[in-house]
Amino acid sequence: MEAIINDYISKEVVQDPSLLPLANDTSLLETGILDSLSLLKLVLFVQERFGTAVDDVDIVPENFDSVDAICVYLRSRAREGADQAAGRE
Amino acid sequence: MNKAEGPAAAPRGLGRLWRRGADGRQLLSNAEGMAYWLAVAPVISHLPARLAYRVACGRGDWIYRNWDAKREEIKLNLRRVLGDLGPAETERLTRDFFRFASCEVIDVMRLRGRARALGELVDIRGREHLDAALAQGKGVILCSAHFGSHLCVSSLLHADGYPLTTIGRWRWRYDDGTAAMEGKFWDFVHARRVLRHRARPNIEPWPGRIQVAAQAAAALRANEVVTICSDTEPLEADRPRAVEVPFMGKPATLLPGTVTLAKLTGAPVLMSFTHRTDDYRHQVLEISPPVPMQGDTVTAFGRCVSAMEDAIRAHPANWFYWYSAAALATMGVISEAATPADVTPEPHLAVPVTMLADPDARP
Repeated sequence: MEAIINDYISKEVVQDPSLLPLANDTSLLETGILDSLSLLKLVLFVQERFGTAVDDVDIVPENFDSVDAICVYLRSRAREGADQAAGRE
Repeated sequence: MNKAEGPAAAPRGLGRLWRRGADGRQLLSNAEGMAYWLAVAPVISHLPARLAYRVACGRGDWIYRNWDAKREEIKLNLRRVLGDLGPAETERLTRDFFRFASCEVIDVMRLRGRARALGELVDIRGREHLDAALAQGKGVILCSAHFGSHLCVSSLLHADGYPLTTIGRWRWRYDDGTAAMEGKFWDFVHARRVLRHRARPNIEPWPGRIQVAAQAAAALRANEVVTICSDTEPLEADRPRAVEVPFMGKPATLLPGTVTLAKLTGAPVLMSFTHRTDDYRHQVLEISPPVPMQGDTVTAFGRCVSAMEDAIRAHPANWFYWYSAAALATMGVISEAATPADVTPEPHLAVPVTMLADPDARP
């Protein structure tokens, strides 16, 4: 997951080549890589690629500040989804 | 009332106090602005429209005569952007600018209840385009400029049943130079009246607010209308995202967020412009068919900007940005802001003088 997201951000979002290669713990906000619109683009990508719905209330810096943070968030969402599915069964 | 008039007459009455110096001017401007917003406009907005807007125009004329620095700055901006219009036309446009600003305060007051008091004065054209676009189920981006009484008139769409949210900044909530009391003043006299006619709180695109586009996308997903002004001068932090497009005869630097949002969400972009008619009380809101989004972002955004320019050239006095050479220079519409008028200190609460939609929306 980290590699896919890192690759997407590196190719589709990063505008300043000096920021590449992108480390998974690089702050995407402090470096200015992510802004509001590029974050929306990233959210749409991860929703489509991983099938994980991102709640609007979850779009906060803590969840999207780095590739690592994004993966932590997505895994927690996936666990929540699995728990809910198990609960229904 | 709308005929061109000669150069400003010598100040009379309170105008003399105004000219006593910066302190006196600031005091008088603040007092006048507060009195107009808090007491005068709420009362006269209940009068027959013909009378209410006549009083507002009279106030606009008083400010025009007495706020020399701003008057001259606006005239200069008009000349620098539109060329030599002739003295009479420049005077007329400048006077109308101040009249419109005062009239807009009456518009805000007439948003009371279900906004019928304002609605009966506004002719909405192109509603069929909005209905057809919403039928696609992806929401609609209504793209405008800081032009006419756009905040108040778009409120009428919400009152008519179109859930509407604005991307825009309530500047006083973020500007460190704004006193807390002043912020409360603007919330009380302006924001609360406008926000009654919104589906969601304003979406405020200040640097660091990374959720802005997602909030707009959520409104669009709910098939709502999102309004945005695309003529805003970019903040320093936003400049890397700005693009160069032809605007008012110059290569201007503007933010193409409208188009980026449209491309990401699939929402159609319709242009909407409001202008005041010659009687000052009636207004026309014109909504366009969807703007083609083919081509890259700059190409598509250029179509939106071209529509903004057409609206401004057709009804120049309605454009907010004549007010500020600094803002025009930042967006690249004029080459530089430095003029004697620009550096004249302005009283902080004098903003209600022009009020316009200024405190809000600079998306």
